[in-house]
Amino acid sequence: MTAFQILGTIVVASPTVLVAVLGATTASRWPMSERAIHRWIFSGVLVGMTAAIAVLVLMLLTGDREVPVEFGQWVVIPEEDFHFHMKFLFDWLSVPFVILSYVLCGTIGAFANRYLHREPGYRRFSMCYALFTLGMVLTSLAGTIEVLFFGWELVGLSSALLIAFFHERAAAVRNGQWVWSVYRISDAAFLIAALALHHLKGEGDFDLMMGAGPWPEGVASLTSAQALFIGSLLLVAAMGKSALVPFSGWLPRAMEGPTPSSAVFYGALSVHLGAFLLLRVSPILERSVILSAAVAAVGVLTAVTAAASARVQSDIKSSLAYASLTQVGVIVAEIGFGLRVIPLVHIIGHASLRSLQLLRAPSLLRDYHALENAIGGHLPAQTTGWSRWFPRSWQRWAYRAALERFFLDAWLETIVVRPFVGILSWCDRAERRWTDWLARGRSRESDDVLPNEMVVEELKL
Amino acid sequence: MIDLGASLLPAQGPITAFVFDNTLRAFESMGFEEALVSGSKTFGCHPYWAEERYHREFARGRILSHDLATELLEDLGDRADALLGFLGTRYHLRLAMLEQPLRLAPTRELEWLVTESDALRQFRDEVSPAIRTKLISRTRHWIMSEWQGHRGDAQPDRAREVIEPVMAGFDFSRVHQWPDATWEQFVLQALWQACLLGVRDAAPPIAPPARPLRHRDLLLEACGDDTDVVVNAMLIRYCAAFCDQGLAAWPLPTRDAGFLSGFRELYGQARGGPEPWLRGLRVALEAHAKDGLTPLDSIERSLVDLGVPDEEQEAFLSQTLLALRGWAGMIWQMETRGDRVPHPLPQGSLIEFLALRLLLERLALAHTARESMGWRGSLGDLRGFLASRAPEPESLTTEQRAFQIFQLAQLRGWRPEVLCRLSLPEWTALIGEVEAFSSIERRRIFQRAFERRYRMEALDALAANCRSQGSSPRHEKPPPFQVITCIDDREESFRRHLEEIEPACETFGTAGFFGVAMYFRGVADAHDAALCPIVVTPQHYVREHVALTFEGSERVRRHTRQAIGTVTHRFHMGSRTFTGGIIAAVLGSLASIPLVMRVLFPRTTAHLRTWFGGFVQPPRVTHLELERTEAMPGAEAGHVGFTVTEMTAIVERLLRDIGLTKRFARLVFVMGHGSSSLNNPHESAYNCGACAGGSGGPNARTFAQMANDARVREALSRRGLVIPDATRFIGGTHDTCNDSVRVDDLERLPSTHTPDFVRLRGVVNDARRRNAQERCRRFYSAHLNLTADAALRHVEARAEDLSQARPEFKHANALCLVGRRQWSRGLFLDRRAFLQSYDPAEDDDEAHVLERILQAVVPVCSGINLQYYFSTVDPVGWGAGNKLSHNIASLVGVMDGAASDLRPGLHRQMIEIHEPMRLLFVIETTAAAIERIIDRNPGIKTLVQGQWIHLAVIDPATGRMALARSGMFEPHEPEQTVLPQARCSRDWYAGCRDNVRPALINPSAAMPAHPMRGRA
Repeated sequence: MTAFQILGTIVVASPTVLVAVLGATTASRWPMSERAIHRWIFSGVLVGMTAAIAVLVLMLLTGDREVPVEFGQWVVIPEEDFHFHMKFLFDWLSVPFVILSYVLCGTIGAFANRYLHREPGYRRFSMCYALFTLGMVLTSLAGTIEVLFFGWELVGLSSALLIAFFHERAAAVRNGQWVWSVYRISDAAFLIAALALHHLKGEGDFDLMMGAGPWPEGVASLTSAQALFIGSLLLVAAMGKSALVPFSGWLPRAMEGPTPSSAVFYGALSVHLGAFLLLRVSPILERSVILSAAVAAVGVLTAVTAAASARVQSDIKSSLAYASLTQVGVIVAEIGFGLRVIPLVHIIGHASLRSLQLLRAPSLLRDYHALENAIGGHLPAQTTGWSRWFPRSWQRWAYRAALERFFLDAWLETIVVRPFVGILSWCDRAERRWTDWLARGRSRESDDVLPNEMVVEELKL
Repeated sequence: MIDLGASLLPAQGPITAFVFDNTLRAFESMGFEEALVSGSKTFGCHPYWAEERYHREFARGRILSHDLATELLEDLGDRADALLGFLGTRYHLRLAMLEQPLRLAPTRELEWLVTESDALRQFRDEVSPAIRTKLISRTRHWIMSEWQGHRGDAQPDRAREVIEPVMAGFDFSRVHQWPDATWEQFVLQALWQACLLGVRDAAPPIAPPARPLRHRDLLLEACGDDTDVVVNAMLIRYCAAFCDQGLAAWPLPTRDAGFLSGFRELYGQARGGPEPWLRGLRVALEAHAKDGLTPLDSIERSLVDLGVPDEEQEAFLSQTLLALRGWAGMIWQMETRGDRVPHPLPQGSLIEFLALRLLLERLALAHTARESMGWRGSLGDLRGFLASRAPEPESLTTEQRAFQIFQLAQLRGWRPEVLCRLSLPEWTALIGEVEAFSSIERRRIFQRAFERRYRMEALDALAANCRSQGSSPRHEKPPPFQVITCIDDREESFRRHLEEIEPACETFGTAGFFGVAMYFRGVADAHDAALCPIVVTPQHYVREHVALTFEGSERVRRHTRQAIGTVTHRFHMGSRTFTGGIIAAVLGSLASIPLVMRVLFPRTTAHLRTWFGGFVQPPRVTHLELERTEAMPGAEAGHVGFTVTEMTAIVERLLRDIGLTKRFARLVFVMGHGSSSLNNPHESAYNCGACAGGSGGPNARTFAQMANDARVREALSRRGLVIPDATRFIGGTHDTCNDSVRVDDLERLPSTHTPDFVRLRGVVNDARRRNAQERCRRFYSAHLNLTADAALRHVEARAEDLSQARPEFKHANALCLVGRRQWSRGLFLDRRAFLQSYDPAEDDDEAHVLERILQAVVPVCSGINLQYYFSTVDPVGWGAGNKLSHNIASLVGVMDGAASDLRPGLHRQMIEIHEPMRLLFVIETTAAAIERIIDRNPGIKTLVQGQWIHLAVIDPATGRMALARSGMFEPHEPEQTVLPQARCSRDWYAGCRDNVRPALINPSAAMPAHPMRGRA
């Protein structure tokens, strides 16, 4: 085993061990104390991060720009062209991203430890947080599309669970479910892309798919049409994960969870995963001009609508969510325009800045007060930027549209959700008729249950 | 009618100046307990802790059986001894219902309990062995003697109905060999069967709850679709934009048109969203404009349209307003108290809000009723339609009633045989008796008993303390220094530690604005801040200026501050936009440094920041613009400040109030308090309550300067109040979060007083450390045996920690003592007591001094206490919920998560150590004097008569205590005359996180820490 192998294994293993330990103790009868959980998370992240930095140093010293770490085939079904190839890739894209993930997860984990102190859901939070860390590491380092998908799913799952962290509040659960549903759409696209890739190339290894050459110089071995097909699916996946138009509406909704999870997920890491995916498969983008144009268009559109929405939001978390989205849009547009390193730098800078801003969001009143004192008067109202060149009626419409978040959620609800629900309820009615006929009467006990069955509360007077 | 609804709305203004107030202010004219019932019905919130919580307190001795019995007896009066047939007396029945928890569950859960759990196999754990044996043996006897063979046929029908199905489940042929366990099952099943059948036939004794008034509630019940979700979502967005004080970069363009017209201009435009329920919105808004409807007309039309008859309109409108009470209340506050925000709202905004709400509700209702229920009729008939579809509302189902009786039967040992024999009227009476003592009633008694326990302990402690102090002669020598602090309960420990360290010193407490009501602007402040209780509108302005020597350097620094501020602001706003954000993001990697530093090393980072900040902060040497030259007070040059006469009045009033008129020390330290913490939208709520959410430091400093003024002293001496020339006042601030103390104007202290100051400084520094140590026992993240120095470091780090959700715990108040320090000195009161100094000997016969003290102290302290009460008993309903999901909206309040109603009240992390109980005022005066004061002051009268506060007096002459009970003063009979003693505070509280009982701190005490201090 080379030094790379050992270090690479540590990078991946430390969050895995973390999840295993937290999961096992949470499920067991002897759950860990807050202090112990915190120690585990902190040391797990620290070990992983140190190893990741060591890999970076080693790569710089040896001049290696691409280091694969193999864990072999885990599942192979040759007849079906199916296999699960555990392989991790350390290159100029994955190493900075994994270090960023570790730094932010570690810092914000320390933040959350004090912030959620004595909170009834502390263990649940830590468990989801560890899952998220693992998901981020797997996604960043994935060397095959199936590993990437696995990490991607972990991130999605932990996100949705943490958005609905305060599950005693209806709004939190509703919004968590909304995000989960959007993720499902994007995951479905991702899965189809992964399967299609396996069918076309017989495997999902990025190396072969992208051709030789370390990132970002690889050349994809797909035809233009194949690239367009797979690339479009992956773009849909990225759109869902990064809240690009038309899925933008979920990002402000995701601000239901505790502040640290909002910061690390939607300010920093999770929201950039779509952009990361596009970077990872950038050789595919290069095969198809249409695809690149589509990516750029989605990015620009997102950036413009989000920038407008950010200006009108009058609560700090939504405002920051849209501010974050604006930059993600810009990053995606940069990728669409063929840039590779700049978007990566942009991601890292933006993630650090935004998570600091989100963590400080509750200090807003104090910060404004301090600024007012420094300036010596009320804060200068911002001019309405470029919108002042447009007629007033247009401005007013734009304001309303921005306030209503460009009606994106409403459109999704009208175009996607309602028909979907419509079909299912038609099926439900048909089934009921069938079972009623079979039972020669009313066949469903659940019909008698009131939609909101009264809960006995002590409140009843 | 709308004003009535508005009075129900939360009366909390913008969060930047947090003001404590009774949450149920609108119900204050009723008695406390009635108001709780009405209030909890109106707002849908819990009036008391959950019953389970009281049981927990009962189990660990914070409520004693004795307290329950006393309060129950007092509550029942002569109804206590009423005999209820075989049930025993009403008193015993109720006591049993209090002492053992009665479980209640939804019907389906009960079904599960009965069929799947041990409920019908084993007696409840609380059942005493005697009752168990009795139930089993008597039932066995009954069955064996009367049901063997065919003798059962001769039994009455009801008994057969009960017993026969139960028998069928057992192998009756081997009845002689049944072990006790089988009999136990048999008894329980027979009991359950008897209860079910008995309850089934009896008429429900209490009226079922009324049907809800709002269409939305009925619709929610009928189909599970909540129209409030969409209506609120839309209103929240619009209200937030309308109320915004500068958070959004792009303010609402139609704000000047007013709430409703602005909405019309915005949402009446073409090309809106696709939401189906909003399809009629444009037409409706246009119709409004065309018909020239005023907001009131619009409300009228909505009411007609919704078919709400005249007599229901009032309640209907109130409930509609309360559906989004946080925002509605904020609109009302910003409309009526426009002086408290930079951008106030126009008059009539609340009415327009209501008009818009009803309009949107109509649209949403029509849409949802059509989609989910297929309703195509008019909205006016919708309620009738929904009511016909929904089942009859019931207070309790048969199973629930039966389960209650079933549990009681076990606890009280009622045999199946007896239950079978009950006639129908007897069953009705039994159920009526049980349900008359419902959960709310039980919790009411628990609450009283809980308060009684603290009251007895506190009064006993005060009495015992005075006895032990009474013998010690009063020192005639002036003390080395005197300290005047705020009345605040968090200063109780600070004063105690000062006195423990320097037993010769004296401390006083008074409302923390020290009688100086003013607008204050510091050197580095942008605005004048009102520093006085919220009920007072200040007339005077005071400004702080840099000493002339430093003026040059300050000018440069001010420009630097301005430049940094402007750049920061640009960056802050720019980072949220399109182009500026790109630069921000590229530079953003640098943000990881402060991110990591601040989270991992908060205290070091804070030191660094202070160090860097030192280059631009104004110089420490400043002076106050305190004296006025013009006749009228005002904000302009020359009008700023007070005249000498005004200063004299202020100084005289305060000194006479607290009884400091002779024996002045060489140094009198006036200490205001404030609190600074990071990441805390509610920061102002941690500040001084008497300064309307500001820091009392400037007031203390101003007061000290006034009292040092030679002309003031001369005027005072003419009025018989002589302050010796050797006495100097100094002002300062105590930061209750990081326990730092800052002293102002030291450069003005004559060098003759330097030794005195050094001595004071030593004591104060020691007190800070001890105070921090005492506070740390409450923080679970601090180790219980921290040293004093480590504790100080701990609280300093807390204040600077971005991630700290509890920078400090706030009030835990339960007691307010108005009287000489002698009563409370040396008493460990666990930071739960407001202490106002007052010396009856300095007062006139009419107790005018006391009256003016109480006029301020009673409303302020009870306001704090009652807000805490409500936020504690139901943190989600009355309080602000969980801090962790708070989201600052419009710079005026916080929402939960992404979007919600505004959350007034206190959040959960703030009330954690508070125990909900009404404040016990103990006032050193005669009963006659206090009665006169109550009669003359309607505000105090309402609170006392409605029992919103408890009131006790200590007779200054005899030291006897009397407690106001239903309008009369009854002498307090001590339960305990000897107080536990400890050598110092630390000895007493060490190792204990919970509330600690009062104790006597006596340095010569022989005993070590008393084992009974914390009770369990």
